[in-house]
Amino acid sequence: MILHFEEVSYSYPGSAARALDGLNLTVDPGESVLVAGSSGSGKSTFCRASIGLVPHFHHGKFTGRVLVAGCDTRRHPVHELFRHAGLVFQNPDAQLFNQTVEAELTYGLESLGMRPSEIESRMAWASGLTKLDSLMDRPPQTLSGGEKQRLALASILTLRPRLLLLDEPFTHLDPEGTEELRRILRTMKSEGITLVLVEHRLHEVIQDADRLIVFHAGKAVAEGPPRQVLSGDISTYGLNLPSLIRLFRTFGLDETPFNADEAIEALKTRNLLEPFSSRLSREIPKLSGAPGEAASPIVEGENIWFNYEGRNVLRGVHLKLQKGECIALLGRNGAGKTTLIKHLNGLLKPQRGFLTVLGLDTRRNPVSKISRHVGLVWQNPNDQLFRPTVREEVLTAPKAFRSYDPAWCNQLFERFGLSSLLDRSPFSLSEGQKKRVSFAAALAVKPGLIVLDEPTAGQDESFRRELTGFITRLREEGCAIVLATHDLEFAAEHATRWLVLSDGQIVADGPPEEVMADAAVMTKAGLRPTQRFQLIQFIKQPGKDTP
Amino acid sequence: MKSSTFDPRSKLIAALVGTLFLVMFNHWVPLAAFLGALAVMVLLLHLSRSWIHFLKNLGFAVFAFFTIVSLASDLLTGIVAGLRLLAIGTVFFLFFRTTPPERLSNALLKTGLPYPFTFVLSTSMQFVPVLIRRARNIRDAQRARGIPMEGGPRTLLHLPALVGPLLIQAFTFADELAEAMEARGFGIPGRRFRFEPRFRWVDWTVVGISLAVLTAGLAIKFFLP
Repeated sequence: MILHFEEVSYSYPGSAARALDGLNLTVDPGESVLVAGSSGSGKSTFCRASIGLVPHFHHGKFTGRVLVAGCDTRRHPVHELFRHAGLVFQNPDAQLFNQTVEAELTYGLESLGMRPSEIESRMAWASGLTKLDSLMDRPPQTLSGGEKQRLALASILTLRPRLLLLDEPFTHLDPEGTEELRRILRTMKSEGITLVLVEHRLHEVIQDADRLIVFHAGKAVAEGPPRQVLSGDISTYGLNLPSLIRLFRTFGLDETPFNADEAIEALKTRNLLEPFSSRLSREIPKLSGAPGEAASPIVEGENIWFNYEGRNVLRGVHLKLQKGECIALLGRNGAGKTTLIKHLNGLLKPQRGFLTVLGLDTRRNPVSKISRHVGLVWQNPNDQLFRPTVREEVLTAPKAFRSYDPAWCNQLFERFGLSSLLDRSPFSLSEGQKKRVSFAAALAVKPGLIVLDEPTAGQDESFRRELTGFITRLREEGCAIVLATHDLEFAAEHATRWLVLSDGQIVADGPPEEVMADAAVMTKAGLRPTQRFQLIQFIKQPGKDTP
Repeated sequence: MKSSTFDPRSKLIAALVGTLFLVMFNHWVPLAAFLGALAVMVLLLHLSRSWIHFLKNLGFAVFAFFTIVSLASDLLTGIVAGLRLLAIGTVFFLFFRTTPPERLSNALLKTGLPYPFTFVLSTSMQFVPVLIRRARNIRDAQRARGIPMEGGPRTLLHLPALVGPLLIQAFTFADELAEAMEARGFGIPGRRFRFEPRFRWVDWTVVGISLAVLTAGLAIKFFLP
């Protein structure tokens, strides 16, 4: 075994709660293990304990024993363990601390006191594998999200650890970046490196994992081959199940298909293709219900151009959004999604063309006036928290806009489960709770338009379920919603319309099924049809002989 | 980054001697001559575009310095003060543009400075843009909630909305960074660098010329009438 946890319990300093609670677990050499569980279940602490950061760096109360390649982490400091086990952290920005990509790759090797020739050869290997060869002189902070993630991985790979742990590596990646990272991980596995992946987005990696371990309240509550674990009763552990499995569960089927081919095979074997098909066709209109033609427009934008640092980030974008509509903004990192959403409340103004929000021209009205009608929920809730209590945080905007409605705000506190937290400091909350505070804060002024920037990134299934409820309710109340996301499964389930951006232009605008059916557009924007869509496509086509 | 063939230590000595020379003289002619020599170096190193960009940033400080000294003293003293600031700025522009920070920290390490000190010295500037980017995000998030942060005196009233989240994020970021550095062997004894700095004859030549210039300057300053 390469990693062994024996009755490990751990509490962070100043906290009575146990992040790990009697954890027992073993990982064998060459295995590919996927670790899943809801937020706060102890996954990240498990990663830290696997390389000795817990307890050496974080201190706190540690009992039990962790062995990494036979070394007891209590007796070996981190700088001895990092030769055997490497960890790629959640936030790539906070693990790149050198001036250039090249310096980043060599840092760990220099720590080990390696000869320059050995450093050169390992650097060449890792940069080739992660396709960073052409970026060696670039400062890491200027790289794209996908490149940063590859660099964070490569900087660990140069150390050739026998055990590689990755903590939510797909969170900030677009579909192309995700695919590229999966390719690298498969190569790692084929070279005999033991992989431990912590991930919420199970559908991205489940096919590549040998074993799935489910964490709950600091314990490993289920483990085994992924299919076996997913077939069991795991509904209480907040796992974000792959969409086809969720679909099968909805239809009362207990198979665990990881892709469309397997789903079709399972349906054929059980002779359920026809009944499934007819039931699915009844369900499809529910998934893509569009607002009526008579709905009033909330946003109207014509020929929007925006240039930043000499690059045309938006090029002639046309946009129309109606009351009660939910649209998804999709595209690669850097395609212009964030720039476009910043236009929706006037933070950025069109340099050519125009945009109106509820009749207000964003070029002629200040942000403070437009923001009264637009609630923006940012990906990182920490960007806005500064008040001493949750109550004051939520009431900041209504008080600034002089639109405080106590009844509405109380309703929001109830709806977002904040009633018991109102007098607590927002900084003391979990990330999921902070996200709920930022939702409530954005909705507190009763905006006509709500914009959600990567709402599902790094969130577990229970939050996704809550989010589904919020979105449905907001639409029923006539609020228009814009989702900027890489999560196509979520976008397909909730958005009535997809707007696909590529190089600052809208290359597709239509219902999700229509956009996904256009292979040329999907390729151009670096997107992949969802598995659910692939299954529906197969079922719809005549004959249904081949997937 | 233009990487030169000199050891960062010899360049650092030359830059410090140049600064002393510039501080020593209070007449515009030697300062202008020194600045002219620096401008030639800028041209020879093909750094003119980035120098002009640098001057755009330094320009306001030079102008402010010139104005204050001119008003407090006289025009000629103002010109000397402005020229001095411009020349010292250019000396360190040339130094940093031709010295990758890692090589500087490696070289300083060789002089006996502790590794954590040299590392922090070389990396701290790197995170300034990261924090500026985060400050912009926070400002946008607060403006989107109706908190006026467009500039002007009202912004000062709402400074906690910017500074609070920024400080919290900076502390969290520092913690995460320290953790990542620890996981890659920061501070481990026996660190060996890919580019070990070596003081060669060209470096001794630079040091020799620098000391000669300093001696000549001191002689002119104190012994010539």
